[in-house]
Amino acid sequence: MVSVNTPQIYLDYAAATPLDSRALEAMTPYLLDTFYNPSSPYSPAVQVRRDYEEAKDAIAQVIGARGNEIIMTAGATESINLAFTAAGDGHVVTSAVEHHAVLAAASQYDVTYVGVSRHGRIDMTQLVDALGPETQLISIALANNEIGTLQPIRDVVEAAKVERIRRQATGETRPLYVHTDASQGLGLIDIHVSRLGVDLMTLNAGKVYGPKQVGLLWAASHVKLQPVVVGGGQERGLRSGTENVAGTIGFMTALVRAEKRRRSEAERLSVIRDEMKATLVDRFPEIAISGNPKFQLPNFLHVSFPGVDAERVLFALESKGVLVATGSACAANKGTRSHVLTAIGLAPEEADGSIRISLGRDSNQEMCQQAAAMIGDVVASEYRRMRGAR
Amino acid sequence: MTRVYVGMSGGVDSSVTAALLVEQGYEVTGVYMKNWTQDLPGMKCPWADDLADAKRVAVQLGIDFKVFDFEKEYKQQVVDYMIDEYKAGRTPNPDVMCNQEVKFKLFLDTALADGADMIATGHYARTENGKLLRAKDENKDQTYFLYRVTEVALQATLFPLGGYLKSEVRELAKERGLYTASKKESMGICFVGKVGIRDFLSQYVETTPGKIIDKQSGETLGYHDGAIFYTIGQRHGLDIGGGLPYYVAGKNMDKNEVYVTTQLNDENLWKQQIELQSLHWINEAPTDGEYHVRIRHRAPLVPAKLEGSILTLTDAQRAIAAGQSVVIYDDTTCLGGGIIT
Repeated sequence: MVSVNTPQIYLDYAAATPLDSRALEAMTPYLLDTFYNPSSPYSPAVQVRRDYEEAKDAIAQVIGARGNEIIMTAGATESINLAFTAAGDGHVVTSAVEHHAVLAAASQYDVTYVGVSRHGRIDMTQLVDALGPETQLISIALANNEIGTLQPIRDVVEAAKVERIRRQATGETRPLYVHTDASQGLGLIDIHVSRLGVDLMTLNAGKVYGPKQVGLLWAASHVKLQPVVVGGGQERGLRSGTENVAGTIGFMTALVRAEKRRRSEAERLSVIRDEMKATLVDRFPEIAISGNPKFQLPNFLHVSFPGVDAERVLFALESKGVLVATGSACAANKGTRSHVLTAIGLAPEEADGSIRISLGRDSNQEMCQQAAAMIGDVVASEYRRMRGAR
Repeated sequence: MTRVYVGMSGGVDSSVTAALLVEQGYEVTGVYMKNWTQDLPGMKCPWADDLADAKRVAVQLGIDFKVFDFEKEYKQQVVDYMIDEYKAGRTPNPDVMCNQEVKFKLFLDTALADGADMIATGHYARTENGKLLRAKDENKDQTYFLYRVTEVALQATLFPLGGYLKSEVRELAKERGLYTASKKESMGICFVGKVGIRDFLSQYVETTPGKIIDKQSGETLGYHDGAIFYTIGQRHGLDIGGGLPYYVAGKNMDKNEVYVTTQLNDENLWKQQIELQSLHWINEAPTDGEYHVRIRHRAPLVPAKLEGSILTLTDAQRAIAAGQSVVIYDDTTCLGGGIIT
């Protein structure tokens, strides 16, 4: 049960964001009053269909696309599954630090995994080498969901372009698409598709103060997809099922509002994040900070306390009302260690001592400094306990 | 300082056990025994949540916490034993086996090798000078499950809850704000707690339907889906409707037949003389004579006379199933016991 007495300092916006109250307001009428099936012929339903299409247009405008290029889904995982159908019978290139949704989808294809640097940036030389005549899809997340590293998507797009030109010259007809999952960091980084240059993009409402189980795949009109969910032929036949009107309206409202304050929010959070980092590094000079200092989500702080059991830190913090994520479930317990932390070359004792802090809308300097102090106290007491032990 | 390794299951009892030992000045390490992790049809094995809860309490208490992985041994020594017994038509007691083989042998040995001086568990039982004594809470007393533990093991064991009532333990947990204070009780061996023995067994044993036969008339009353699922004295789950309730009065594993009766006084349902096998005595073997016995967990203590491996109950008892244990007491001391043949 969730304790109601402890005031909470929520520092896990990368996992879930609270619903924007304006989004809820915008959604409510579509749940209670104009609940009609947008495919119904009577005029109130036709109005709902128009509102739905307008919401999609508004989302499209944020990402610099057209509404009819967007397929609404039940979240990023489904979008990714749909995006991978663009690979057809071809080869797929992705990275070693992708989300499990991408790794699982990619494993169904002939796939090459590209390694990353210590900072989590993909190795572009490896990526270029991985591209062959059979490659049909490259899928790289815009920002890593564990350590917050931003990937050089434009470089990936350039590499794809070079390969496409080569194919054109030799008369090869296999297409090559670039997909990016831009869910993490939505509302904090630029997701304009023409500036990114990608062919497919996945977005998730649940990461940007919209409702959970709502997502979308944007696919440029030249991309050929196969439906994963078949039925009544909604979403141009690519995603059947009665449209989630309220969810889409909520997503649109949340996304538009987040986009409006994107730059100032990114700036605000990066300042708070840097202060937290400074507080922790001052107190524990031995800690490892992961992610790329330059290309990093502004709200992410990934810290590793070598030798500490991060899960103990998480439990101690939760009892004080501070909610963070562990970078990795302790290997001794569950036999798993984060593939991301392994890929960036963190030592096991660093990986197991990792916590991920991700800030968001309600984070402010005071609470974050308070949280940093509490994290410091908990870690210090863990170190004391460990010294006391044999 | 005495180093104690406490078996922490993520439940309230073992949480309080650890808390009390910390307060008593022991150097305490919490240990989660990872015995079973497999999901069963319709039920997700809660081991990961239980482990997390145990660890939360350890963090609350500021003690070390370890995970001992006994999955392989538990499967071999408890689960396989249980399945084999059922296949042989008997009704085994896996909790007894778990204590004998895992908690008070494997856990004890592993803990001692890891630097512990003693172990502790959240059992409702008491121990003194290598003797096993009944708990203060007569209703919760778990000595029935502990009768196959050795004296040597008991000398290295603490049962901090033995002097408390269950209600007091809940209270202690609440007073201390332990994370598990209001957690629901799990029943019996964890993995069959929620899914039931029938669903569990059907994962491991191929069963074929057979006849349910009226013992008196010889008439076939219906069909069952495997004789191993039935135990002597059982009344429910027979799916033969109408009239008086039927009781399982016997079964033939070779023929896969279950015999039932409406006669509560059927000779097979009642037993006065029991032959015990695999006798185990915690301390020295008791002399022949008058004792009190328990034929199942929480059953009332009944008087009986012990002569070698033959136990004669003063009053015949109902539903005495082969494979179950009879535990023998001298006043509050649990002497040991044996398995019904």
